Amino acid sequence: MAVLTKESSIVPNSITLGRSKGVGVSLIVPVTERCEDLEEIFRVHRDILDRRGVTSECIFVVDQEFERDADTVRALAHHDDSVRVIQLSRAFGEATALGVGFEQAVGDIVVSMPSYFQTTPEGLDALLDALEGECDVAIARRWPRDDSWINRLQNAGFHYVVRRFTGVTFHDLGCGLKGMKKHVAREIPLYGDLHRFLPLFAYQRGFRVREVDVSQHQADQSTRLYKPGVYLRRLLDILTIVFLFKFTKKPLRFFGLIGSGLFAMGFGLSFFLALERLVGVSGLADRPILILGVLLMVLGVQTASIGLLGEIIIFTHARKMKDYAIEKFLK
Amino acid sequence: MKNKRSIGLSVVVPIFNEEESIPQLYASIQTACEKTAEIYEIIFVDDGSRDGSFRQLTRFYHEDPHVKVIRFRKNYGQTSAMAAGFRAARGDIVVSMDGDLQNDPTDIPRLLAKIDEGYDVVCGWRKDRKDKLISRKIPSRIANWIIGKITQVPIHDNGCSLKAYRKKIIKQVSLYSELHRFIPAMSSLAGARIAEIVVTHHARQFGTSKYGISRAWKVFLDLFLIKLLTGFAARPALWFGLGAFFAVLFGLGGLLGSMTVGIFNITLPTVALLFFSMAGHLMVMGIIGEIIVNAGNYRPAKMIVVQK
Repeated sequence: MAVLTKESSIVPNSITLGRSKGVGVSLIVPVTERCEDLEEIFRVHRDILDRRGVTSECIFVVDQEFERDADTVRALAHHDDSVRVIQLSRAFGEATALGVGFEQAVGDIVVSMPSYFQTTPEGLDALLDALEGECDVAIARRWPRDDSWINRLQNAGFHYVVRRFTGVTFHDLGCGLKGMKKHVAREIPLYGDLHRFLPLFAYQRGFRVREVDVSQHQADQSTRLYKPGVYLRRLLDILTIVFLFKFTKKPLRFFGLIGSGLFAMGFGLSFFLALERLVGVSGLADRPILILGVLLMVLGVQTASIGLLGEIIIFTHARKMKDYAIEKFLK
Repeated sequence: MKNKRSIGLSVVVPIFNEEESIPQLYASIQTACEKTAEIYEIIFVDDGSRDGSFRQLTRFYHEDPHVKVIRFRKNYGQTSAMAAGFRAARGDIVVSMDGDLQNDPTDIPRLLAKIDEGYDVVCGWRKDRKDKLISRKIPSRIANWIIGKITQVPIHDNGCSLKAYRKKIIKQVSLYSELHRFIPAMSSLAGARIAEIVVTHHARQFGTSKYGISRAWKVFLDLFLIKLLTGFAARPALWFGLGAFFAVLFGLGGLLGSMTVGIFNITLPTVALLFFSMAGHLMVMGIIGEIIVNAGNYRPAKMIVVQK
């Protein structure tokens, strides 16, 4: 859950890039969807990190179905101690893979990177520059876009919906290149498909999030259309986010509103039919639409009572939960 | 002092963009505490201020071992700030107050004296309130009257932050969303004895008020919520069971009706079945509610023994 957390969250204030000892940057590459030349991806980004003079590690988290690509990266790991490969036992999806990677990362800065080229390698540079300044999370935004209008339309539509429902403006949540300080990566829960909303969660928990413009990679410019199921899943994701953002603290308001709306409709309908019966227009039993009226009332009561149950959970457990995040506690 | 187990008095002060007020605020609280308690702590909760408040607070933290500072990462609102302060407080008696200098810390000794008389919660009453009449005082008076009627805790001024609590009580109260206004009502349900004293109220010296009349609707919803929850949370099985009982009654009514028109008409039997299914659903909800309440640490009134 994003809003209510049981963990204490007292975190160190500032983290400097560890140029001298320890690991400065951890690159996490979840290999869960499509994947291109992993060796190439590793090489160009490692070059950039070396040029910056930061120590780094690279963690590949490989879903079960990408067994073959795991062999490529295992060969890499064989030659290079700073490369690690985590093989998942089945297809868990990107969010879980990222979560596992974040857990394993030891760098002061954790950067997640897609297993295909979305951005030019210089994007990593821009991201790390941003993270050295005053922000906790830096996310890449592919801008200016050079791909087809279909891609851009989908992108704009998705972010419009997100903005309308959460009130937070982001432009490119779909870009896999995201960097954050270690404590942020540890604190934010990741599950399902929600990895793409990580910046929103971070923002909500009070972290400073910045968008960094990076240029789009040539390979990313092909037109993409997905199966209808994918769009449906995105929509459900957004619903989840809306709920997590707005109503986890007050489920009764959310369910109560829907429930009382349903109940009012059902009650109105049944009341009208009862009136007809009273003035003798037609008997109740001759009006099958009465079933709809009663059904709506029953649904309304059930929805509202689920909200009430949710509220009871929060009310009775509120003393164990925190709906705030503490940056510092001087005691 | 910081490692001692027991502290006499904790003063919790939420701060939001009060840079100018803080020095004077700290000085007056400190004077009041020195007079009242041997061992005390002052907990400032910086609710994500964007001005120099936190710098000021850090300075006092370094100067005075009695001062503790909690800094939120962003602005979460007064209820959260108070909840964080209460959670951190270790005093036997906890006093909460506003950070805008409108409350007067010289009232603290009087609050404590009232607690010593045997009360568990003592609320401040800003009888001579220095705020705008139309936008603040009149709505507040109406709201307090309604809150008093509905919660059965007739306090003149629920919105006044200056209150003193026994630790036992304040650690029992559920604080989330915007419920800090209902602490007296909720603690009364927890079996607390509540008193009220008139406190001084000053006009705002610095900054601007962070509240407006737009809260009225939310307060009203919260009030309804509190009323519902305090009844429900104590014994959900009973209330859901009552709902189920009525659903069964309606269902039986439907069945009876269907007898009169004959078995071949499907409308009324279907209606009856819907009501029966609702009854079953509500019963299950009641059981789940009971499980939730038992799994949590909420205890309904009367089960709480107030220690003196």
